[in-house]
Amino acid sequence: MAPLQLSHVDSAIIGVWRWQAAIATLIVAVATFAISPSLPFLWPFAPALVVIGGIFLSWWWPSVSYRHLRYGVDETGIAIESGVIWRSRIALPRVRIQHTDVSQGPLERRYGIGTLKMYTAGSRHTKIELPGLQHEEAIALRDALLAEGAGSGV
Amino acid sequence: MPCLPKVPAVASEGDFQPTLRLHALSWLFGLSGAIKQMVLPLIALLFFNVRDETPGPFGPWIVPIIVVLVAVRAVWIQLTFRYGFSPTGLVIREGMIFRNTRHIEYARIENVDTERSLLHRLLGVAEVRVQTSTGGKPEALISVLDLAAVQRMRERIFAAARSVEQTAATPAEDTLLHLDMGELVRHGLIDNRGMILVAAAFGVLHEAGVFVINQQLVDRLLHSPSAAGLAALGLMMQIGLGVLTILAAIIAVRVLSVIQAILTFYDFRLTRVAGDLRARYGLFTRVALTLRTRRIQAVHQNESLLHRWFDRVSLSVDLAGDSGGSEGNGDNSRSKTRWLAPVCPASAAPKLIATALPALDLSTEPNWQPLASGARGRVFRKTLLWLIVILTAPAIWYLREGAIVIVLGCIPLAWMHAHLYVKNTRWALARDAVMFRRGWLNRQLTIVPRDRVQTSSIESSPFDRRSRMASIYVDTAGASPLSAGIRIRYLAADVAERLAAALYRTAGVTN
Repeated sequence: MAPLQLSHVDSAIIGVWRWQAAIATLIVAVATFAISPSLPFLWPFAPALVVIGGIFLSWWWPSVSYRHLRYGVDETGIAIESGVIWRSRIALPRVRIQHTDVSQGPLERRYGIGTLKMYTAGSRHTKIELPGLQHEEAIALRDALLAEGAGSGV
Repeated sequence: MPCLPKVPAVASEGDFQPTLRLHALSWLFGLSGAIKQMVLPLIALLFFNVRDETPGPFGPWIVPIIVVLVAVRAVWIQLTFRYGFSPTGLVIREGMIFRNTRHIEYARIENVDTERSLLHRLLGVAEVRVQTSTGGKPEALISVLDLAAVQRMRERIFAAARSVEQTAATPAEDTLLHLDMGELVRHGLIDNRGMILVAAAFGVLHEAGVFVINQQLVDRLLHSPSAAGLAALGLMMQIGLGVLTILAAIIAVRVLSVIQAILTFYDFRLTRVAGDLRARYGLFTRVALTLRTRRIQAVHQNESLLHRWFDRVSLSVDLAGDSGGSEGNGDNSRSKTRWLAPVCPASAAPKLIATALPALDLSTEPNWQPLASGARGRVFRKTLLWLIVILTAPAIWYLREGAIVIVLGCIPLAWMHAHLYVKNTRWALARDAVMFRRGWLNRQLTIVPRDRVQTSSIESSPFDRRSRMASIYVDTAGASPLSAGIRIRYLAADVAERLAAALYRTAGVTN
């Protein structure tokens, strides 16, 4: 069997991640701005750090983690590669998929993408997620994975 | 996966009403089970309410009130619980307001396990767990039935199942392992569970304020004639007494462990019935479990230093579906570790493993592979770093300049650990199983059949990538997330890649 051909997910996911990070940064930044003036040793540094870190996480990080998120499907199952600093590649045979979900948050819906969640009977990797697929593509992939995978025990 | 009970084929099935009730004293066990779970919060509540000047709501009555509420709930559960034998399956109905009816087909029921504590045995009842092939978590927990009812249930369920499967009468049981008193004593000595009891007792006493130093008491002790006598003894005698006290404490803890081992595993008997394994044990609480060999996901062999001194090992298995066992269902089974043998002679282990994994061919010695060549250096550096991080501050605090000796002493220690760890850690990929043994002080061996592998993943940290290594994690069902599967660190990256690819291929085709 040839090694799996890995491909990137839809690049619209970068937008979703940017928005998510930006919103999270905003919440944290507001909180720090509100609290830190009363703590003199924190004042100029903590809010500045939050803003700089937030900009970094919302602009640069999503595109880097997008570059490292790849997946591939073959007749045996699916492999997902992710992580920037701690990298992992998980290989999931389709006979091991117990059930699947395709979920879509409000931001994801706005960008027309969905997250494919696959559940196994394993002990640690019980839920394996693949974000950033076009919603129809996620559903098609789910159907393809389930088509022959049914009917196995644990 | 056949998760849901099939829609009953018989038309009359839909209006089948279960009529059998629980044993009349069931509420007692519901109550004691609930209290056992909340015993610590209850004790705490009692203490706070008695000790404080400002008692909480209801003052000292809070605990009795809670107990009465729990008792009422237990009685309610008992009164509303019904079970019955429909033509196709076991039907269980719980609740009255929120009614839940469960239908379990006879053909899917694999075991009817029982667990009986001393109280159960005094009253001649048993807690019954109905297990099916879908998950290891019992499909139904019936607490409690009298023994005759359990027997009728077994007969009814297995008579139906037998007529479906057309099998012969119950086959003979074949004893694989029986632990006599000597083995149990050995297990107690090795296991040292008594330490945990002592620690727990200490904790409780501490919470109760026993250790708050009472100046008067100390003064009285110091001025008592026995203290004077102690002071009159020579230094050597004092040291001797101290050593004797410590020895006595160690012996007492070991004796506790032995007693605990005897209580838990008294008359441990592992038998084989028609290919499946059955374990029975316990002095007061009798546990009877069936370990279906086709549900066994992995076998673990553990061999600590003490095990090696006694030439013994312990064996446990992971059963499919056990991992989710802790939540809900009122299942507070104490038998979380599925023992194949809490202790057994090292020479008997291979045969037991082969019985637990009958599909594997374990006759030939696997081709054990070492870790990557740079592994020893990495383990050494990591251990050294941790030792220094942990030890430096306390060493400087207590020894001042002497700390340098401690810190330098870490270097040979870390080197020895790294050398022995890497020397004793090996993995092997057989035709039908993946095996991993690790550790030098405490040696563990895990065997996972390749058709039981759920997922395999390759993980690499920045340190891994710098030295072209990776770790592989093989996930299996039925274990706790902490002890699950096999994680092999410090593999060469290309080796890990090949191993993962091989496991992925076989996991995909089998089963």
